[in-house]
Amino acid sequence: MKKGMSRKTRAAVTGQLFVAPAALIVLVLFVIPLGMLVWMSFQDYPLLGSPTFNGVDNYTSIPGNDTFLNAIGFTLAYTGATTVVMFGVSFILVAIANSSRRGSKFYRTSYFLPYVVGTAAATLLWFVDSDTLVGVFNQIPLALGIIKEPIAFLSTPELAFWTTIALVTWKFIGFQVIILLMGLQSIPRELYEAARVDGATVLQQLRYITIPFLRPILALLFILSVTGSLLAFDQFLILTKGGPDNSTVSLVYAVYNTAFVKFDMGKAAALSVVLLVALLLISAVQLPLLRRKDV
Amino acid sequence: MPRNLLRRAVLPALATTALLLAVSACSGGQTADDGPTTVTLWVASPTEAFSKALVDDYNATHDNQVELTAIPDDGFLQKVGSAAGAKSLPDILVSDVVYMPNYTSQGVLLDITDRIKDLPFADALAPSHIAAGTWDGKEYGVPHKLASSVFFYNKDLFKQAGLDPEKPPANFDEILADARAIHAISPNIAGFDFGGNCGGCSVFTQLPYMWANGEKMLTDQGTKADFDNKTTREVFGLYKSLWDEGLTPSNANTQDGSTWADAFVAGNVGMMAQGSAMVGKLQAKATFDWGVARLMSPDGSGTSTFVGGDSAAITATSKHPDAAWDFLQWSLEDHAQIDIVAKNGDLPDRTDLSDNQYTGADPRTKFIVDGVADGQTPFAVPFGELFNDPNGPWIAMVRGAVFGDNPDAAIKDGQAKIQAGLDEAAG
Amino acid sequence: MANSPITAASATKTTLFHLFSGIAAILFLFPLVWAVLSSFKSPTDTSWFPTSFSLANYQTLVDYGSGVLSYAWNSLFSAVLTVVGTVVICVLAGYGFSRYEFRGKRPLFIVILAILMVPYATLLLPLYILLGNIGMQDSLIGLALVLVMFQLPFGILIMRNAFESVPRELEEAANIDGCGPIGALRHVSLRIVTPGIVTIALFAFLASWNEFLAPLIFLNSGDKFTLPMMLVNVRSGTFGEIDFCALQAGVVVAMIPCLVLYLVLQRYYVSGLLNGALRG
Repeated sequence: MKKGMSRKTRAAVTGQLFVAPAALIVLVLFVIPLGMLVWMSFQDYPLLGSPTFNGVDNYTSIPGNDTFLNAIGFTLAYTGATTVVMFGVSFILVAIANSSRRGSKFYRTSYFLPYVVGTAAATLLWFVDSDTLVGVFNQIPLALGIIKEPIAFLSTPELAFWTTIALVTWKFIGFQVIILLMGLQSIPRELYEAARVDGATVLQQLRYITIPFLRPILALLFILSVTGSLLAFDQFLILTKGGPDNSTVSLVYAVYNTAFVKFDMGKAAALSVVLLVALLLISAVQLPLLRRKDV
Repeated sequence: MPRNLLRRAVLPALATTALLLAVSACSGGQTADDGPTTVTLWVASPTEAFSKALVDDYNATHDNQVELTAIPDDGFLQKVGSAAGAKSLPDILVSDVVYMPNYTSQGVLLDITDRIKDLPFADALAPSHIAAGTWDGKEYGVPHKLASSVFFYNKDLFKQAGLDPEKPPANFDEILADARAIHAISPNIAGFDFGGNCGGCSVFTQLPYMWANGEKMLTDQGTKADFDNKTTREVFGLYKSLWDEGLTPSNANTQDGSTWADAFVAGNVGMMAQGSAMVGKLQAKATFDWGVARLMSPDGSGTSTFVGGDSAAITATSKHPDAAWDFLQWSLEDHAQIDIVAKNGDLPDRTDLSDNQYTGADPRTKFIVDGVADGQTPFAVPFGELFNDPNGPWIAMVRGAVFGDNPDAAIKDGQAKIQAGLDEAAG
Repeated sequence: MANSPITAASATKTTLFHLFSGIAAILFLFPLVWAVLSSFKSPTDTSWFPTSFSLANYQTLVDYGSGVLSYAWNSLFSAVLTVVGTVVICVLAGYGFSRYEFRGKRPLFIVILAILMVPYATLLLPLYILLGNIGMQDSLIGLALVLVMFQLPFGILIMRNAFESVPRELEEAANIDGCGPIGALRHVSLRIVTPGIVTIALFAFLASWNEFLAPLIFLNSGDKFTLPMMLVNVRSGTFGEIDFCALQAGVVVAMIPCLVLYLVLQRYYVSGLLNGALRG
């Protein structure tokens, strides 16, 4: 029989074997727990007590959940702002990091460094640094005379929003820069040399070589940035605690509160399932970007 | 050749599978033997040092052993919630006393009514803690670490401001007047400080003003809220004046608790309602003389305090309830309470021990301990989500009434939302 | 020469480049440098500008619980497991996804991507129950497996992209030379995708080393706790009061291994190695 196996079938089996370990991990540690989560979403599941089946009650209660509904608008605004800022800044920084000038290695390292600090620790650092009394973000401009009064960075919804985005950019941009850099470095230099011989301008090189080659990487970063921001949570929990006055409660923060402050795991599971479905739909729109058709 | 290749391709996949299986097979359940028992205890990190002193002494003198695990405070609720969901709670759970109704109402804890009643000093155990650990007439918890809210003031700053350092303010008018006098010393010196974006801090320090005026705030087993009253308006009104006149540090409205003691300890604040735990910090770091007073009603006619801290309980799933109780009982006896708890500067859990040689040595700690007798611990199943949670209705009401333009609307709104939360929890 | 307009223009350009890049670098480095400076402050020094020097904050870390080394060891153990697991699984899967057509390829890929889309905090509870059922609660290995799972979407995407940028002709040549699929992967492509491998290894390490919530949920005994858990445990008061000086010392301690690793690895993905390999 094995001899009868077509070349194509054999290749398919080999391919399946290559992905088998990943498939196993995903099955045991993701698909099964996800199934459990879906099961929980149909239960009245007090985290501390025993669960009882309650049908779709957890789902039908979502339209009445103000915290969650308010979080939708905020999270979308945050995702839009973060993605725009992150991409804009990372293009500039990667141009510096990819430069052949002296010092670019140092710059590259300095932009990446904040990424190595854990989110919780980095956020706590910022929390104290942005304090009006002891925070260095205020003390240095005050000492230099740039500002007269300390700025309470977390006191209004707008300030808290932009402070969080500044933190997130500072903390995560290194990741984006490194991935972009890796993509840039993988473009064969011969292409640029050939283009230069043909008299192509810098912009033309960008348009016809760099961007097409970077497409899958850009798409990957875009998807990571969008899903990451839609699921953003830690930075709000620690930096703003959802405040001031509940203006920075993100979707996952609302889910988290339902599960671990209200101890209502059933509702939290239902919210998670809804979020997952929404994100899958959003990603279904983005996924074609990942395919590498027109390179 | 293809088969050879196939085998090579199979190998990594098989190796991973085998690793997974081997790993999952090698850790089975442990069997309990009949020798000395080890019981597990979880405590949130801020209380760790306190509990560890007790556990170390117990382990050194007993065959049974207590294994203490400090859970990061930030993740305590998640940890306990997940462990309860997976039936893997420890034998002893030490939890913030205000969360006790959460656990007792869900059957997470073991009924220890009879064990508590058999204690010779049962009646002396901090009464508000016992009440907080009682559900449907059954008692589930004993006090572990007591904390109470106290009015602190900086005597040095009082002197500099020309005030009598031995005469702390006795009512709200005097607080405001003294705060003005102290702030007049220098723009960098604040008259008063508070955690204006910290639900836990504010409920801990502001409820006593209201209780002191005879208000109940939460009644009927924590199912009825009464915040829409005159006293609430006076309390928030005082804080609003302090904030609006710039008598507080500029970070008071963003203070989420993480640095709320720092300005006072540094000597830059004249007065503050704070937790008894600040005594330790002041003794270690303060370079000025400080005094304590009770939290008073607006007109000064009554005083009260919030008796907080941690309760200890045995979990319903514990396999060693007797060994667990042995530790809890020992921790409340004279030796532990006097030679460990009081000696370390903490408040004893029993009202009959307030005269011990250690607590009595500093009149200020004696003063604090004596205050516990007429203190209260608020009771409500969803207390954490309504009052401590930074997104809850309590802190929204405080912020609306203190920093907002329309305190009256904020209080009415807060009352409605707190009542709605209580109703939802009652089902 | 010095007066030629081209040189002058390029000198101005270089100056502007360094001015801009330098300001950006200062902005990025400042909070970290500040943390390092403040970590050497005396705990009783309450001024915002450090004026004292003391190692007391580091002493606090050394004295805490089972000691900083024990926590660092646990972190290192689970991080190394996570890195090895992530790299092996993602390299194989990335290769499979880029080179082969087979049934179930697309659904599997989508399921792997879906890992990115589940609120992380809520999935931990079912995972905790599941790990309990297979006897891996309170186990650093169980923790590492979960962390590997969360690294899969990123790792597999990166590896798939990396393999796709390797010309198939190279492998076909290797196939003709008598290497099989694994042989072709090992001898030809693996060297070319080294930047990708280094990248996913680095990010797996950072993710595992800094992870707080998963170890908090999965680990029950204090002697298995990891560094980030200790960092947040080093606190003094109630209501979230922070021993900020000790926290800064902790951030510095946790940062150093990551920094060293980054500096050691960076030449692998940014030195034109790819072109060298293609040419050689």
